[in-house]
Amino acid sequence: MAEKKKAGKSSKSARKAQSPAKKSPATKKRSARSALATATSASKPVDERIQAMTEAPLAVCAEDESLQKMLNVLRNREEPIEVRLAALQSLQAASFAVLAFESCRADYIATLRELVEDPDPELRQRVLGILARENDGFVQKKLLEGLKKPGKALVPPEKALQLLSYDVHSEAYPIAREIVKNPPSSEAKREALRLLSADPAAVPVFEKILRDKDELAELRQLSASALNSLRPEKLQEHAREIVLDKNEYDDIQAVSLTALTTLGDEAEVTGDAELLKRVDALKGEKSTKVKKSARRFLEKYGE
Amino acid sequence: MKVELQINNSTSTGARFVGWTPSPCRIRMTDRSGATSLTVNVQITARTTTTGGAVVFRRGTTGTFSTSITVPVPITGASVPFFIAGRFGRPSINNGDVTIEARVGTTLVGSVRCMVRVRKNANQLTPGERDRFVAALAQLNNQGLGRFTDFRDMHTNVSSPQAHGAPGFLPWHRAYLLDLERELQAIDPSVSLPYWRFDQPAPNIFTRDFLGVSDSLGTVQFSPTNPLQFWRTDGVQGINRRPFFNTGTGAPSLRTEAQTLAIGTTYSAFRSMEGNPHGSAHVSFGGFISSIGTAARDPLFFLLHCNVDRLWAKWQRVNGRFDPALAASYDNTPSPVGHNLPDTMWPWNGITGGTRPPTAPGGAMASSPSATAPGPQPRVRDSLDYQGIVNLISRLGFDYDDVQFA
Amino acid sequence: MTAMAAATAGATSEVSEDDFAALVDALAAGPERRGELTDLLREDHPVYDQRGAATVVRMRGWVLLALARAGLPDAALLYVLEELDAGIDAYLVAAAARALRSRPQPDAAFAPFLTRALGNIRYHDEPVSFDGYGEYAVGANGTSPVREVLATLEWLGPHAAGALPELEALRAQPRGLSRKRLEDLDRALETVRAGGPAGEPGGDCCALPDGLSSWARGFRRGGGPVESVVFEDQEGGTAGFQELFQGHPTVVVFFYTRCDNPLKCSLTVTKLARVQKLLAERGLDERVHTAAVTYDPAYDLPERLLRYGQARGLRLDAGHRMLRATSGFEALRRHFQLGVGFIESLVNRHRIEVFVLDAEGRIAGSFERLHWDEARVVERAAEVLEEKTDEPAPPARHKAASPMLGTLASLGVAFFPKCPVCWAAYLSLFGVAGLERIPYSPWLQPLLAAMMLINLASLWFRGRSTGRRSGFYLALAGALAILASRVVPGLEAAAMWGVGLTLVGSAVGVWSRLRRPVLHALR
Repeated sequence: MAEKKKAGKSSKSARKAQSPAKKSPATKKRSARSALATATSASKPVDERIQAMTEAPLAVCAEDESLQKMLNVLRNREEPIEVRLAALQSLQAASFAVLAFESCRADYIATLRELVEDPDPELRQRVLGILARENDGFVQKKLLEGLKKPGKALVPPEKALQLLSYDVHSEAYPIAREIVKNPPSSEAKREALRLLSADPAAVPVFEKILRDKDELAELRQLSASALNSLRPEKLQEHAREIVLDKNEYDDIQAVSLTALTTLGDEAEVTGDAELLKRVDALKGEKSTKVKKSARRFLEKYGE
Repeated sequence: MKVELQINNSTSTGARFVGWTPSPCRIRMTDRSGATSLTVNVQITARTTTTGGAVVFRRGTTGTFSTSITVPVPITGASVPFFIAGRFGRPSINNGDVTIEARVGTTLVGSVRCMVRVRKNANQLTPGERDRFVAALAQLNNQGLGRFTDFRDMHTNVSSPQAHGAPGFLPWHRAYLLDLERELQAIDPSVSLPYWRFDQPAPNIFTRDFLGVSDSLGTVQFSPTNPLQFWRTDGVQGINRRPFFNTGTGAPSLRTEAQTLAIGTTYSAFRSMEGNPHGSAHVSFGGFISSIGTAARDPLFFLLHCNVDRLWAKWQRVNGRFDPALAASYDNTPSPVGHNLPDTMWPWNGITGGTRPPTAPGGAMASSPSATAPGPQPRVRDSLDYQGIVNLISRLGFDYDDVQFA
Repeated sequence: MTAMAAATAGATSEVSEDDFAALVDALAAGPERRGELTDLLREDHPVYDQRGAATVVRMRGWVLLALARAGLPDAALLYVLEELDAGIDAYLVAAAARALRSRPQPDAAFAPFLTRALGNIRYHDEPVSFDGYGEYAVGANGTSPVREVLATLEWLGPHAAGALPELEALRAQPRGLSRKRLEDLDRALETVRAGGPAGEPGGDCCALPDGLSSWARGFRRGGGPVESVVFEDQEGGTAGFQELFQGHPTVVVFFYTRCDNPLKCSLTVTKLARVQKLLAERGLDERVHTAAVTYDPAYDLPERLLRYGQARGLRLDAGHRMLRATSGFEALRRHFQLGVGFIESLVNRHRIEVFVLDAEGRIAGSFERLHWDEARVVERAAEVLEEKTDEPAPPARHKAASPMLGTLASLGVAFFPKCPVCWAAYLSLFGVAGLERIPYSPWLQPLLAAMMLINLASLWFRGRSTGRRSGFYLALAGALAILASRVVPGLEAAAMWGVGLTLVGSAVGVWSRLRRPVLHALR
């Protein structure tokens, strides 16, 4: 990681530096060309360069030379990381103007691929994210390799799973199932479950987690949502039982009530006297969450 | 004696919504019993609560507004027109929190409840407004099975050239937001689209009860009572959004409102705001919202764009740029199809293939009981005069809490 | 297993990507094995089973590049044009554009496909690498789909004259292609314009090169029994295959809601809605049914189907449904011989496919790969509606007859007169040719000549219904030869040629009508 040291501030401090809404020197207006010249000039102060990069993102595609200079800043590990991240953000902002960005796109994507193994983890993660959202096969291959061989991983497993979930056609289901069984972390398990929420074969997994009081509330919440998408009738059934269960946790009762209110089968719920009676009783619960969700439920189905 | 009050020229309860832009209204006599002359002077006023909306009236398309007007109403049952507008700075909080009353002398002869419904700063919504908006949005999404899918399909990599990187960027997104807002209002008419003022801290938006709190990975967490926990797009549950600024205390680094309004006085100059602040706001996060093909998967997208549209509306007002016939109101450089003033806009025009995308999701523009424009197949030019300043009929039926009429 | 040991037919999901690449390279080395390479482009080839979409892209791309090296055979042309027509993946579009340049001759019919590809991909241009299997372009190396499409337009030269307006409009855009791509475009424009301002006619947008068709109008035998398939429709109602598809012709399309290529599923269902409107305009919407069947039945629950159909303007009622197979999907897949591959229950790649079923539920027409013409599908459905009583379609299931027996029977039918009129025709043929051997018959010659005309007319109408008129032309040549033998001195011997040609023409006329069932039987 010698290069990382050379790169100046760590990405963490870079993020911190960016966080407040800095309205610094930039109140003065200057031409887009002049802003680009400042942004790509290594001799200018870092803050000034960052500010210049945010000023006129669309100008970068006006001339090929400007684009190449900006891409050079982005790929140059000798540049301060804050400047590289600002260059990336500026190009990303420009990429929204699809018609104007047409001439830049191929070189931009090519440069991003160069950066997937950059020593800076923040830059790497952002670049992987941009490419993953384009369903980029190159990045999917790298992420899958990293999940199978952790020594090759470019990002932690939970991040890799999150990025793979952008493309439902990626071949991540088998590895996600494996991670649910033997999770390296609770975040990894959560992201694996989120990815599997589009997998009809995962219904039993979600049923089990939803009804398992030892599971984290967050995972049970996620399972309720997944189940409702994959087998709505199953969620209705489980949510009903959870609401009727006097020993259930407040959070899960609230989730189940919200699910029934938002997504329940109206005819079935309104005809369920036992459920309505129970929800009526829940109005008086101590938990604000349960009270609030019971009240909304009754607004829709009760009285 | 009884009179009928028609808000937005309609007796429908769905039409009883006004903004700062004057709404055309009518009054007519439905029961003449007790009338002693051919016309009866009816006084129209409004009653409200301390926190409710307030309205003002005028008889015609010009002139000053007042809190009360007197209208001579024929006993024949013929309608008499007048106008109602929300009093700037006094929007409603709840549906029906303003009551329009018609009196003859001291006798109440007719009344309707209405709402001053405008687009508000999302950071300042009441819990009730916030919850209604979130519930309507979740219902529109309906776990990826609702009408929201069309809105997601309208804003993809394939369709993006219709709406980005050329002059039509702002008009297209204005129509897009209006279409979505009208769908939300079909679910709950009291809802309007709120905006995220991205140049200011907005801690109330990024909460578990509203648009969620991102963890370090960027996975957005919701409270158990928030129906957005069931949000689903492209088959996958949840939202990825990793802020690069402190959502509790900070704001992204981008052009402020004042800087944006000062970009230039012609549309050709102003439209560079597509890069900054628009693009800059998108990329102040990682996750869905930071790439054009996935941005519309995050509900925040619509609040972000609502602010982009508000900035345009504000710029239009400051510079008087509502008239499509005025060169400075638009960039008339010949542009790709869909970006020129007379062009119809995809997907509402239903045109597919060739230079348009292969399909047109969602069909025609949703209609509204409270405004007739822009019609089912809006053109680029139909987005400009959103308050009906140049032509009353062009009124699109929305306003921003901080952008006055005219 | 080594790559070479894995013949394409035996190549399965067990083959590693490296072995697959080696196999493809080996096949590309021998021109006679291009057929096997082409076979690897089938979406349902077992080698793609249980692979992710990105892996399938790598593999198919490599096959296309191998074909580009070996020379693109006729059989693979449809796959290449399909990719240009509806592909949105940069690597595959680029590989297809390159493969097209390996055709022996440029063809004006390619130009519209290339301009469509340019429209589909230009805003998503990205670098791709053709250097080695599975390689992705990093940095400035590699090519790109836009570059490859422009290079193929340059190769087409004056044959791409029909694309000139689009190319010139692209050139005129102030902020369009990058500097490098503009240089490519300028080169393409230079060669395209070389044919002069008018150039060659560009052909219409939807014409295919000669000899190529994506539309099989005739009957086709199903690939297996489908009685076991149970469907659920968008309302949750269930029904079997026969219940849904018997008693009326049906237009059937396949799709799935998670399809991420709007040029395929979304457009197919949108076009089915147009088919419904065309049927309604002709008053056929009650007599001809429609169905959109999902490839992804585990995920596409009724509510999802309903939502997808409604969003695309589909009319949905008892005669027009969206369906998922709740059981028996494999049988359905075999029956229609669907061009689709899967990873678990999720599609990894599929073609566009549309079927017209007759009132017995048999496949009476099918369309695959390229964008289909709704009017043509409706026309075929209308024909099927009218033809249902006299069409010699093969039974859809339980075929037990010996293939050889079927063939002999068909040949017998070909050479044996089939009706009283045919008897007369045959009599006419032999009668006119052998008239000299009859002592005196002044009334016989015009009668026999009339019968010969009846035979010709019969072959003409037969040819019109099958679309193959070669039988008629042969018989016409035969008739002219017989006529010549009668009127031109010294050409008497032509009579026997005439007889021969007429017999062959009659046989071909019948064969055209029977060839599909016979070919199926032979297979």
